[in-house]
Amino acid sequence: MNYVIEAQGMTKRYKSTLAVDNIDLQIPAGRIVGLIGPNGAGKTSALKAILGLATYEGKLSVLGKCPSKDRAVLMEDVCFIADVAVLPRWIRVWQLLELTERIHPKFSREKCLQYLSKTKVTLEHRVKQLSKGMVAQLHLAIVMSIDVKLLVLDEPTLGLDILFRKEFYTNLLNDYFDEERTILITTHQVEEIEHILSDLIFIQDGRIALDSSMDDIQERYAELMVPPDMAAAARELQPMNERELFGRHIFLFDNANREQLKALGEVRTPSVADLFVAIMSGGKS
Amino acid sequence: MNRLLALMKREFWENKGAFRTTPLVIGGIFLAAMVMFLITFNHFDNEFQSLRELLRFVAQQDVDLRAKVLFAANLEISVFFSMVLAFVVFFYLLGSLYDDRKDRSILFWKSLPASDTLTLASKLLAAMVVAPFIFWVVYVITHIVIMALFAVVVMVLGENPWTLFLSLGSPFEAWSLVLVSYFAQSIWALPLYGWLMLVSAFAPRIPLLFAILPPVILGVLELWVDFLKTFTLNDNLFGLFGRWFANSPLIMSGDDHENGFGAALGIPITSDYDHEVTLANIFDRLFSTDMLIGLAIAAVFLGAALWLRRRATES
Repeated sequence: MNYVIEAQGMTKRYKSTLAVDNIDLQIPAGRIVGLIGPNGAGKTSALKAILGLATYEGKLSVLGKCPSKDRAVLMEDVCFIADVAVLPRWIRVWQLLELTERIHPKFSREKCLQYLSKTKVTLEHRVKQLSKGMVAQLHLAIVMSIDVKLLVLDEPTLGLDILFRKEFYTNLLNDYFDEERTILITTHQVEEIEHILSDLIFIQDGRIALDSSMDDIQERYAELMVPPDMAAAARELQPMNERELFGRHIFLFDNANREQLKALGEVRTPSVADLFVAIMSGGKS
Repeated sequence: MNRLLALMKREFWENKGAFRTTPLVIGGIFLAAMVMFLITFNHFDNEFQSLRELLRFVAQQDVDLRAKVLFAANLEISVFFSMVLAFVVFFYLLGSLYDDRKDRSILFWKSLPASDTLTLASKLLAAMVVAPFIFWVVYVITHIVIMALFAVVVMVLGENPWTLFLSLGSPFEAWSLVLVSYFAQSIWALPLYGWLMLVSAFAPRIPLLFAILPPVILGVLELWVDFLKTFTLNDNLFGLFGRWFANSPLIMSGDDHENGFGAALGIPITSDYDHEVTLANIFDRLFSTDMLIGLAIAAVFLGAALWLRRRATES
């Protein structure tokens, strides 16, 4: 099997701290992977290694290439948006499009203009005249007009309003994504992306805490909601996590017997955010 | 190739003010000075009476002498352009690998499929070719406008501009020499350019400080050690820099300025090269041992700059 991203024992060290600690990753083509972790968990370090922006130890191959050596070649098939707006402030929009067109063989100007026509960004604008949201719109328009195999988005919608965020993810899913493409997203707003993800990776302290497809997660994890008088019985079944909401107790179970749970109360698939909290706070075992 | 050209265009766009507006301003200053000169003359000298006499006097001088002085003048118009060009290139290179690190747009540039080597080359070529060429074009245009204006004045005052100066002074030769000297200077200055790019790739902030302070400290230490040892001031970094500067193929005056610049700076210049402005003398500098050493130093600096650029997004 050919993986889009394949890492073995990937490690990133900054002087005394281990940002990425010996992780193994295998991401096949045609997936939308969410890389979720608390601040400082090593998400950005891992992404930088994947994008050839930083050195690393261990084995890492992206689309069959070594990112630290072949960044320029790799970037013909990989596109990324780093966590904050990083478009050069002096540049005009038309200049940016012309440059991208001449440097990137897979950029489609028509597509980009089509995306931009839905925004207030004009070709004569300088990036520094645009609002933060408009800069993000411009950057996203450019990235979505490049026909690449791997798209890496590090907090792509940070600081954007909810209308735009919804539209962005809809576009990403409908116009952009297909079986050939792989998208790797990190974000803190997990709720917004959980229904578009096909795979989920939790990262904590530089290690992978969970690496699973969304289908497996639905089978493996269950959320049980019970009234207070049933809480003790639920606790017997060794939940990963317990919380209280409006006087009801909510438990998260890993690989529990669903029939047993249903006898106690209402069983649902947990949200990614709840799963994240449960695994990050208690799931160190 | 297409990518390299695109990246060079990028450098031009980003530095339009320095690369294009600056020489235009210099050209404007020249023209304004000339117009002011004529108005002032007219103010004190009714109907250009003495200017008329002056032109009469010049017209009566020996043709060869006039040609020689005119040729020197034609070259000298470039000096102002050259000096400003040197400053423009200096500060451009100092910011070339620093600015996009500071505003983090390096993350965007690195997301494009252009290698760091290509990026570095585009910036170096912008400094070596693009900026000098634009300055040269504006110099030539300025020169033509000045000559045209002066020709009109001369005609109005009853002299023939063609025999007086237009046919003399070989402007085409002067322009070609200036262009060649610009490109020769680009090569001659490579060690300095390499150093500036290295500092630009390295400096955590205030690249100017990092560019100037280390060599100055080193030079002062050398001076001090020399002083302790022999009580004479031998060759040190300052002397080296002075010689490099004085020997540069850049045209600093129209004459064969033997010792001119070094003497003005107080540097005892041994004439390593013939300073008369000729093509052969310009190439003499480029095919010298000094140049070879310079290129080796430049290669080390540029290699180090590239190494740093590759790792610029590390933290």
